[in-house]
Amino acid sequence: MIGPLRVERRLDTPKWLKVVVPLASLVLAAIIVGILLLATGHNPLSTYHQMYSAAITADGALSSTLVYATPLLFTGLCAAFAFRMRTWNIGGEGQLYMGAVGASATGLVLGDWPRPLVIIAMVIGGALAGMLWAEIPALLRAYLRTNEILTSLMLNYVAGFFMYYLIYDSDSYWRDLTTPGASVFPTGKTLGSHANWPGITIGSFTLPLGFVIGAALAVGLLLLIRSTRYGFEMRVMGDSPQAANYSGIRTKRKILSVMAISGGVAGVAGSSQIGDFGHVLDPRGLQQAQYGYTGIVVAALALYNPIAVVLVSLFIGGLTNAGFALEGPSFPTGLVGTIEGIILFTVLGGEILARYRISWQRRHVVAVGTGVAS
Amino acid sequence: MNSNIVLAVVVSAIAFGTPLVLAGLGELLAERSGVLNLGVEGMMLMGAVCAFYVSQELHWSSALVLFLAVVASMVAGAAMALIHAFLTITIRVNQIVSGLAITIFAGIIGLSSYLGEVWNIGGVAGLHQFNQVNLLGLKNLPILGPLIFNQDVFVYASWVLVVAVLYYLYRTRPGLYLRAVGENPAAADAMGINVTAYRYTHTLIGGALAGLGGAYFTLALAPIWTDGLTAGVGWIAIALVIFAFWRPDLLVLGAYLFGIFSALGPTLQTHHITALPSEFYSALPFLMTVIALAAASTSWANRRIGTPASLGIPYTREEA
Amino acid sequence: MLDAGDGRAALAAPAVLASDLPAGAVGRVPKALAVQAIEMTKRFPGVVANDHVSFDAAEGEVHALLGENGAGKTTLCNLLMGLYRPDDGRLIIGGKPVRFHSPRDAQGSGIFMVHQHLRLVESMTVAENVVLGSSSPRQLRFSPRAVERTVAEAAERFQMSVDPRARIWQLSLGERQRVEILKALCRGARILILDEPTTVLTPQEADQLFSSVRDMAAAGRTVIFISHKLPEVLAVADRVTILRNGHSVTTLPTAGTDADDLAGLMVGREVSLEAVAKVTHEAGPAVLELAGVWARGDLGTEALKDITLEVRAGEILGIAGVSGNGQRELAEVITGLRPTTRGMIKIGGARLPTGDPRGAIDLGIAYVPEDRMGTGIAPNLSIAENLMLKSYRAKTMRSGPVLSSRKAIANAREMIERFDVRAPGPRTLIRQLSGGNIQKVLLARELSSQPRVLVAASPTRGLDVGATQYVRRVLRDTATSGVAVVMISEDLDEVFELSDRIAVFYNGRVVGTLKASEADRQQIGLMMAGAA
Repeated sequence: MIGPLRVERRLDTPKWLKVVVPLASLVLAAIIVGILLLATGHNPLSTYHQMYSAAITADGALSSTLVYATPLLFTGLCAAFAFRMRTWNIGGEGQLYMGAVGASATGLVLGDWPRPLVIIAMVIGGALAGMLWAEIPALLRAYLRTNEILTSLMLNYVAGFFMYYLIYDSDSYWRDLTTPGASVFPTGKTLGSHANWPGITIGSFTLPLGFVIGAALAVGLLLLIRSTRYGFEMRVMGDSPQAANYSGIRTKRKILSVMAISGGVAGVAGSSQIGDFGHVLDPRGLQQAQYGYTGIVVAALALYNPIAVVLVSLFIGGLTNAGFALEGPSFPTGLVGTIEGIILFTVLGGEILARYRISWQRRHVVAVGTGVAS
Repeated sequence: MNSNIVLAVVVSAIAFGTPLVLAGLGELLAERSGVLNLGVEGMMLMGAVCAFYVSQELHWSSALVLFLAVVASMVAGAAMALIHAFLTITIRVNQIVSGLAITIFAGIIGLSSYLGEVWNIGGVAGLHQFNQVNLLGLKNLPILGPLIFNQDVFVYASWVLVVAVLYYLYRTRPGLYLRAVGENPAAADAMGINVTAYRYTHTLIGGALAGLGGAYFTLALAPIWTDGLTAGVGWIAIALVIFAFWRPDLLVLGAYLFGIFSALGPTLQTHHITALPSEFYSALPFLMTVIALAAASTSWANRRIGTPASLGIPYTREEA
Repeated sequence: MLDAGDGRAALAAPAVLASDLPAGAVGRVPKALAVQAIEMTKRFPGVVANDHVSFDAAEGEVHALLGENGAGKTTLCNLLMGLYRPDDGRLIIGGKPVRFHSPRDAQGSGIFMVHQHLRLVESMTVAENVVLGSSSPRQLRFSPRAVERTVAEAAERFQMSVDPRARIWQLSLGERQRVEILKALCRGARILILDEPTTVLTPQEADQLFSSVRDMAAAGRTVIFISHKLPEVLAVADRVTILRNGHSVTTLPTAGTDADDLAGLMVGREVSLEAVAKVTHEAGPAVLELAGVWARGDLGTEALKDITLEVRAGEILGIAGVSGNGQRELAEVITGLRPTTRGMIKIGGARLPTGDPRGAIDLGIAYVPEDRMGTGIAPNLSIAENLMLKSYRAKTMRSGPVLSSRKAIANAREMIERFDVRAPGPRTLIRQLSGGNIQKVLLARELSSQPRVLVAASPTRGLDVGATQYVRRVLRDTATSGVAVVMISEDLDEVFELSDRIAVFYNGRVVGTLKASEADRQQIGLMMAGAA
């Protein structure tokens, strides 16, 4: 109870509420942001219009949006998949870094192989690296019951330093030591042309291969969760660990495999960064982008549904794109995060509120209601 | 090794460690009440930008302006923390997601940057700055002089706060109650302790201290504002609290240790004493934390030095 | 009239209230009444937990509340300590009428309860726990040494020996209980309510507890304790109030009564006629065998001690006993949810691997748990999914790794039909169903796996009359079809009605096994209360 208000869980959320509440939240967010814009001397409507065009309708806008959306799609799936089962993998950031390391190594080593093979190898290389990195907190959680939030968080830092070391502080395989500027401004080796992932041009925009892979993964994960034995066990475990135990589900193995898949997906995010976009291992860029952490937020907005993650990643990608494209005196970059944040607050708050019913209650001592005396 | 190098490293460590101690103590208090706050970076940036704005806009005596700037930073941090507290304690949103939302909202591409633009305070040198003090006039003592007697108010404040928080946790009744709330909120509730109030209060204090840590950057370190100038210190503060196993004494040691490690790398390199790469030293505390967490999960250790058991879990009283 | 040691008062009137007696009646001045409960009534949906219950206790008296499950003992105490508000009735504490809105109010009047589940912070010391939340003046400073000294003095004064510096996790359960009692005493407890205090204690610890209880009473405090154990009640209490089905049956001084009387009052003397009316058929071979099984409970104590039982195909073995005597652990051990420390369990001759739920399921064990919502179902999944909870691995339900949703729905429809589950459809979320329908779903699921053994724990608890009858019929039919059924029930009527044989649990052991047709309630009651 909150003061005199009685809050109780609804038995079922009516379908209409499930649609109306997020929409209402978005409208509320738009209003709040509008007020903020007005207060700082900007015109909300024209700002929104500009953002819309910069994200979607302008020349090359959609392609740029997709560039930002692709990594978020993967890291969003990574978090959504793990969070559904209440394994809180917040190590997507580090798993992405390791995936980038793995994919760039694969791409460099296999540089001359036929293109399709290189691409497949990069995906596998990145996925394996991410998977292994995620298994560390997974093993600790499964066998020692160590809190995976804390361990996966710590490993993000370690992965970051490792990546940093490879490029900025060593003569590692990943580092480009050939060009004259290289010893002064350390950079990674650029991958060969076979490691450049092709984009798929549709009309006026280009769909990165990574996005297609991600979308396919989203469908695959949805099918896995909804239609397979494995997914069924996941859903039972996520709903009630005691019921899972009771029905004979091997919970330790589940934790290990769910975290592995989750980490693997984040690893492919890293592969995509190398293959679709940079073609070189760029620690600084990856660390600044914070795709891993943003992915968690994408997953939360998508209510941990894989298909929704695709849509939300496009939305956030568009928002980010608009922010950077419009950057200037009338559109400070800070607006991007501010808008994202306000949307998050309203949607998250709204979603929980929709699950509960609020009513007035006189001050009343309530009994623990099993209804059975002894 | 040259004592000058050592001195340089330690001085650098203290500069690195001070905002860590401030924000870390705040996070420690919040987590002790059971609330995980991943929004520290955002709160620090908000503190930094608000403090700088106040110090640029008010044209009064330096002392007064700086004081007000500090207050502004704490209010800004606490305001962000209020959002987090409301979402996680009252509405019971997932604490991880809420904290990240705050970081995005207030962080490097968020409100702090927006305000920096709107207030037009970027890239301009600060008008006021906390300078080093000459404590007790002993700044010229060998070795200890520059280290202990020639620091700025923030550093001294951080030391005082460590002692204060230690005293609070282990020698006051509210501190005892706080520990109970984090360990076993149901038991604390049954004994008449208001769990919600404790969580709210300590989350807000956490935000205020994070804001204060951010103010260090714009009021003491190099008074200037740029987007994201805390450069991830907020994240390190979160890690630091876990590394220190929620103890203030270990926290301050850890903060300086982190500082030493981060300064060590470049220093060792410039003087060609490299053995292991500097990133290894930087990563070491985090690796050690993982190992320590695993070791602490065994029930033997868990009873003695465990995590606050209710960390991350919203509290509901059993009610009809 | 109220002291234990004296008073050879005859069992004349049904209830001897202290206020009935004129002062100086037997040459003794009656002690002041500490607590008077008059016509206390409390209703919950579907059940009247306390129906005009009256009792009283004097200062310096040890008063026991005796009854089996569902009698109303805990509800009465919850009313006394302010957790519930009575629908009717009055409460008089120390001569003054009171109305409690919360436990704090009750504590203000000196009433404290020590629960079965202790509310202590494990990592902190005894002293810290005692001091937590205590109503001492707004004192900011906390000095561990000073507090330890204060607590040590208090422990001395109240004769509760505990080490103030010890951490709770280092203490045995008996010591932890003492800390809870000390906590209450330090906060000014005049009336102490103990809820089944000896459940987790060793015999020695129980003796220590009783000696403390007597000390507290001698110091003028009132101790009310809930129990179902006759030996305890007779040993420690001055008077005992027996509750049955929400009514107070009577109040007696313990001095003038014995176990037989009390047992009879507790469970009633009627012979259950339904037991005779059952179809007596020859049971088949033994399907479930337990030999010398020991197991640890959640708190680390031995919950099952040397259990040897067998259940035959086609028979229902009813497990009778007050809850908390090992029945839940028995169910968990058979179904693999709890490992055994000693002994062996066999199903149809094959040895059950210990602590392996999958192994138990594979060997044909079905389980309808007492904790329906928590263990038995996944509340946010649909009816169809819950029905699949055990069968989803079978080849019929899937093609390869893919679950056939069509088959699941069809299967669910059929079961909903067969078991008459009232629900909008197979896709409905299970937590929207009523308790009775959830139970039907559980039964449907468990029975459809063609088990050899069915363990049903409290199968009709919380169900309405119609659902209850339905479930009992299903259990009967299941047994008739050749399944070995273990039915754990707190409802003695149910045990008598359904069982072919009855095993009585007390303190983690089987204290008696008998044919239902040969058993009488009194005898069972005595066994359940540890007085056989």
